[in-house]
Amino acid sequence: MSERVHAYLNIGIICAIIVLLMAVDIFNSDRTYSETENRVLAEKPEFSREAWFDGSFASDYEEYITDQFAGRDKWVAMKTYSEMALGRSLVNGVYLAEDDYMIQQHRPQDFSEELIQTRLAKLDKLVKKWDAQVMLVPTADNILSEKLPVYAPYFDQKAFIDRVRDVIGEEYLINVYDILEEHDREYIYYKTDHHWTSLGAYYGYQAWANHRNESGYPYNPEGMKEVTTEFWGTLQSKTNLNGPKDIIAYFPETEQQPVSLVYDMQTRRKSFYEEKYLDTKNQYGFFMDDNHGMIEIDTGYESGGTLFVIKDSYANCMIPLLAPHYETIYVMDLRYFNAKLEDIMNMYKPAEGMDVLILYNCVHFLEDFKYYE
Amino acid sequence: MVFSSILFLFRFLPIFLICYLLTPGRMKNFILLLGSLFFYAWGEPVYVVLMLISTVSDYIHGLLIEKNRERKNVARGLLISSVCINLLMLGFFKYADFLIGLVNLIPGVNIPLLELPLPIGISFYTFQTMSYSIDVYRGEVKARKNILDFAVFVTMFPQLIAGPIVKYHQIDTELHHREMNLTQTRQGMNRFVIGMAKKVLLANNLGLVWSQIAGGTGGELTMFTAWLGIICYAFQIYFDFSGYSDMAIGLGLIMGFHFPENFNYPYISHSITEFWRRWHISLSTWFREYVYIPLGGNRKGLRRQLLNIFIVWMLTGIWHGAGVNFLLWGLWYAFFLILEKTFLGKWLDAAPRFLGRLYTWVVVLVGWVFFELGSWDAVSSYLVSMFGGRGLIDNNGIYTLIQNAAVLVIAVIASTPVVTSMVKKLEGTKTGLAIATYRVGTMLVIPVLFLLSIAFIVDASYNPFLYFRF
Repeated sequence: MSERVHAYLNIGIICAIIVLLMAVDIFNSDRTYSETENRVLAEKPEFSREAWFDGSFASDYEEYITDQFAGRDKWVAMKTYSEMALGRSLVNGVYLAEDDYMIQQHRPQDFSEELIQTRLAKLDKLVKKWDAQVMLVPTADNILSEKLPVYAPYFDQKAFIDRVRDVIGEEYLINVYDILEEHDREYIYYKTDHHWTSLGAYYGYQAWANHRNESGYPYNPEGMKEVTTEFWGTLQSKTNLNGPKDIIAYFPETEQQPVSLVYDMQTRRKSFYEEKYLDTKNQYGFFMDDNHGMIEIDTGYESGGTLFVIKDSYANCMIPLLAPHYETIYVMDLRYFNAKLEDIMNMYKPAEGMDVLILYNCVHFLEDFKYYE
Repeated sequence: MVFSSILFLFRFLPIFLICYLLTPGRMKNFILLLGSLFFYAWGEPVYVVLMLISTVSDYIHGLLIEKNRERKNVARGLLISSVCINLLMLGFFKYADFLIGLVNLIPGVNIPLLELPLPIGISFYTFQTMSYSIDVYRGEVKARKNILDFAVFVTMFPQLIAGPIVKYHQIDTELHHREMNLTQTRQGMNRFVIGMAKKVLLANNLGLVWSQIAGGTGGELTMFTAWLGIICYAFQIYFDFSGYSDMAIGLGLIMGFHFPENFNYPYISHSITEFWRRWHISLSTWFREYVYIPLGGNRKGLRRQLLNIFIVWMLTGIWHGAGVNFLLWGLWYAFFLILEKTFLGKWLDAAPRFLGRLYTWVVVLVGWVFFELGSWDAVSSYLVSMFGGRGLIDNNGIYTLIQNAAVLVIAVIASTPVVTSMVKKLEGTKTGLAIATYRVGTMLVIPVLFLLSIAFIVDASYNPFLYFRF
């Protein structure tokens, strides 16, 4: 190879890359939405004199051309893989942990002392007034901390739960941490999603029953029914990495009684489970029709009691397990609700009273537990 | 528009280069001017006028100075006028609010701030045009008769917005007469790709580490994390800025311009004096040629020299921005330069080499804390962490190091001349194996760096250019 040939090749390769990509990019049609990144992509901005002179046209146009660049998904994947090749074990806020687990990162500094105190004050008030039981489920980074990359920092939820116990008192706090830790080798968290599995929720239910000194309904973990083996959850969306898929299963015992659910006082359904979600990206929505502000459940059991649950999405796969203990269950998600919480509770409270359960994972609790008084 | 963007790489650059290549000889400057004005107006649709005013003003001043060369006082007056216009422009847009803020410290005074955005690259192009008037005044160059050539000197897009600051006498002849050839195109293109990789792969990634460390809860940084953070910042600013200079030099070379080098591995320096010979060379030589030496340099005795150092580094500091932190940053360096001139330099010469390097690193890193963090609270809090006031080490710091160890190792190697000298050696050896290795190597490595950079640009949540602020 002479110097001349080398120069031509050297220049030619780079120019070919530029010209080819430019050509493909120009004839590439625009997408409105990126499935893999789970976001709306920028559209071509309209040209106007004002937009040009205030500079917004230029910046919008650059955003548009970057968002719509040919093969965008492949470039993004290439970036992720090259970072992993250099030893990065954190992609877009998700730890790439052992045994193909993706585990969401929660850093200690993400939760300020002020935030913790605000949440605990609100919690304590509600607990004392309603004699409520509290179940704060640790997230995977704590229970599966041995799988995390070495020295990976995580928000210590055991210590946090201890604080909660000190504030509200032992008798109100359901200890779910220990039982999950005991079973940390089982499939209690999804590998590609930030939720716990139905098996995890089953242990949560055990902790709940233990706290009431009951043995609980004899659910059989061996008999769980799989509804999909192709689940890629929220963490997979964030990392956009190919990997194993998760299994979603449920306890068929929860379908023994004719249940009736009313979502947001509008839609009546005859099952805890909605198969239509299994064809979408949000397969966890299978449990109790994703998230609703208010759900009214007639469990079909004639035990007579009423339960009022204030919860996050972790509760969606556990609430069906509570059905045998109550005739009526009200479920409230504070994120979708903006009226005075106690007004609602008083409205639903039957004359003989009701049990109140506050069920969150620790992180959702710190992020979302707020209500109007 | 920045070089490391999809818009530049896959729209502006190819279209511009094709037009430039197809245009015959003398008309190339016209295309270059048009391209540059579009490039600048894309980011500064209004202030582009300001740049044109500066261009015309200095063009006329240059001609008048030359015409009145024999009448010393008139020529001098014209030079002062040219310099004042430039400094007023720079002063108005860059320093007015700072000065108003100072005046407002007087009780009872409350002048509203102007809050004008800083025109991109104004600190760079005003310095370039001043160098022209001064060079003409000194008789080092002839005044440009052709306004097109002169406009190209001021507005040329490769170095317009972040340097290197090209002094007029450095490219005087090339403005009118330059050649494109295969070797230069190849070298320029490779230089561009390497610069982009430095910027996108190293600077952006380490910058992200720094912003996470500095942006987190500042009060809780351990010593280890604080040092790790500022080291990442030191590499970020170096690869950001030198990468940009590489891209500018590379683009210039493709068109046949030979821009001056801007960096020469500053982080291997053994003293602050050496550091400033290797860091942002085009700025420090500008101050040297147009301020330090005219003030007498080192020719009027030690005390005068120390004063000159003080003045030049104060100016260097505030050139970077209207802020007390930049002033302090400049004076911080003046302090160590003066120490080195008086006694420290001799000590360092006698001391083991690594001591000099360690000392330089510590001074430079502490300097960056001033430079980057700005407010006194942030600086002092960070320094407390750095010097052990908040514990030695924690998991967060170790994890951050592990996560970025590979990038840091690459950064360390890339900030020394090891790789470059090896490549130069291969390129220079004309024997079969060495040159074949070089040729095959460039043909593989350059495209890979290019593709990787594209991937990081497409998915860039973090892609600032630090020197656009100055």
